[in-house]
Amino acid sequence: MNKRILSILGPVIIIVLMIIFRYIFPNKITFLTEVVIFSIYVMGNNVLMGYLGYTSFGQPFYLSTGAYSAAIYFAYFGGNIFMAMLVAVIVGFLLSLVLAPGLMRLKSSYFTLINAALCAIGVFVFERLLIDITNGNDGLWFRGNMTATPFLDVRYPKNFFFFVLLILLIALYLYQKMDKSALGISMKATKANPEKMTFIGYNVFLIRSIGYSISIMMSALAGALYAINFGFVNPSLGENTRAIEVLLATLIGGVGSVFGPFFGALGFLGMKDIVSSFMSRWEFVVGIITIVVLFKFNRGIWGLIQDGAGLLQSRKKREKTVKVEE
Amino acid sequence: MEIWITAIIYGLATSGILFLVSLALSIGYGLMRVVNMEAMLYYSFGAYVTYTIISVTGSFILGALGGMVVGAGLGLIVETQLLRKIYDRPMMFTMVVTFGVFMIGIGIIQFVWGLEPKPVASPISAIVKIFGGVQIPAYRLLIIVVAIAAYILIQLMMNRTIIGKALRAGIDNRENVEGLGVNINKIFTITFIVASAFAGLGGALNAPLVMVGPYMGFDMLLLAFITVILGGLGSIKGTMVAALILGQVINVGGTLWAPLAFVGPFIVMFFTILIRPTGLFGKEI
Repeated sequence: MNKRILSILGPVIIIVLMIIFRYIFPNKITFLTEVVIFSIYVMGNNVLMGYLGYTSFGQPFYLSTGAYSAAIYFAYFGGNIFMAMLVAVIVGFLLSLVLAPGLMRLKSSYFTLINAALCAIGVFVFERLLIDITNGNDGLWFRGNMTATPFLDVRYPKNFFFFVLLILLIALYLYQKMDKSALGISMKATKANPEKMTFIGYNVFLIRSIGYSISIMMSALAGALYAINFGFVNPSLGENTRAIEVLLATLIGGVGSVFGPFFGALGFLGMKDIVSSFMSRWEFVVGIITIVVLFKFNRGIWGLIQDGAGLLQSRKKREKTVKVEE
Repeated sequence: MEIWITAIIYGLATSGILFLVSLALSIGYGLMRVVNMEAMLYYSFGAYVTYTIISVTGSFILGALGGMVVGAGLGLIVETQLLRKIYDRPMMFTMVVTFGVFMIGIGIIQFVWGLEPKPVASPISAIVKIFGGVQIPAYRLLIIVVAIAAYILIQLMMNRTIIGKALRAGIDNRENVEGLGVNINKIFTITFIVASAFAGLGGALNAPLVMVGPYMGFDMLLLAFITVILGGLGSIKGTMVAALILGQVINVGGTLWAPLAFVGPFIVMFFTILIRPTGLFGKEI
């Protein structure tokens, strides 16, 4: 009962919250757009971390792959924004087809580090190997090539905000479907006990590969949205040092939940925004928050919200039972 | 021809640094099954303390000793206060927690020493000529000698002393060794401190070769991880062999084509793990 109400209320809370923020802080619109895009990226990581139990230090690689496929499409082929997003998702899917057979056989710690290696190789490919196409460190600029979209011209930041919010809503809907489907449940079961799943007769490798594919495609989509938002991409988007951001946001939001990633993205970026306004470097604070979150609130912000809702309900129940007893 | 000999010797020096620094990671994993990402703090603190002592007293030997002591002290604090409490948690948890500690350490470095990279002068400026005219800085040769000495020491400690024997038995069957009346926690702590001291020494030795900056640990973290993974988690011999390979990949590869110095190690690791998922000398976990 409680969970069902929360699962319906979740998207409503998110949309209302974002629109309220949009009008309270009208000059923070780029920040809010980033929160929405980042939460799609965190949702991708959550599939790996929360559903499959893999920690990846290489998510920036998938993000920058998506961003670069969109940017290369804009710079050399056309200007349709929907096509760019589609291209990024397809490239992400193909990449996962190539990598899944090798990576999904690895143990978790090796997976983590081989992803870190992928990140470094990715920066190398975009910065040096494809320098004729990507302009290396100067970045690829393409803002002028984007064409107008019907109804809502997303080239303007104000409209783009609503556009990404719509995409987040669709993504949340599909994510919730996935969470309740046989796929989501079998992914979580694989995380808990892969031997038993194999014994029952499930193809653990296939389940993991599908999850990995979903994760990469979501990261690539987020990358394409980043590219459209900034109007240019450069290799620093895929650097190794940024891998921790998405992990932290996932942890802060609540690992393995449907709406956690959004709150994680909001919490993490908000904290970064506030801390960096009075401190030039924020590593110290981020480190302390990581440890506190891990030891004290290991179910994240969404876990707190669920507990709060549960507390309200149990109080109501208690009142009822008291009345019955009387 | 000369350029290749230079590259190989430089590569050996790089291997020496990599071996010293990776030891803490390798031992941390081999003993406690903890991926201790904060190990690079010992390295960067070692380098910073060396910088401070050199700028005060001017003596490199004192600086290197100070770096070792600080590395060992940090290792002691982290092992007894943090790692011991999270041994039996999942791998992901320990990785993220120790990464959090690493971030806090970087923050402390920034508060104490500031953001600008600090230069450290090389303590030995002499240049040695070997193989008929190839010029090699003597300092690089010193690093190679120190690393070899460290390897011999750690192997002697593991194979010849009672501590090492109890340690290896404790890794295989902890309960049994405790039942014999050995305080296994104490032995783990001692070994961890030795490894941390070596990481501090690695930082001290590397300080004159690179600029000492807050993010030096970050750059080294990935290389150290590649070394440990390539050699097989928990194997000291494997760590040594992997460090030798990577040193040559970085320097000889970098001489062949400059970008290889950055990306070469990652490519080597990527394909090694795909072909042999346990690394060169690792056992099935």
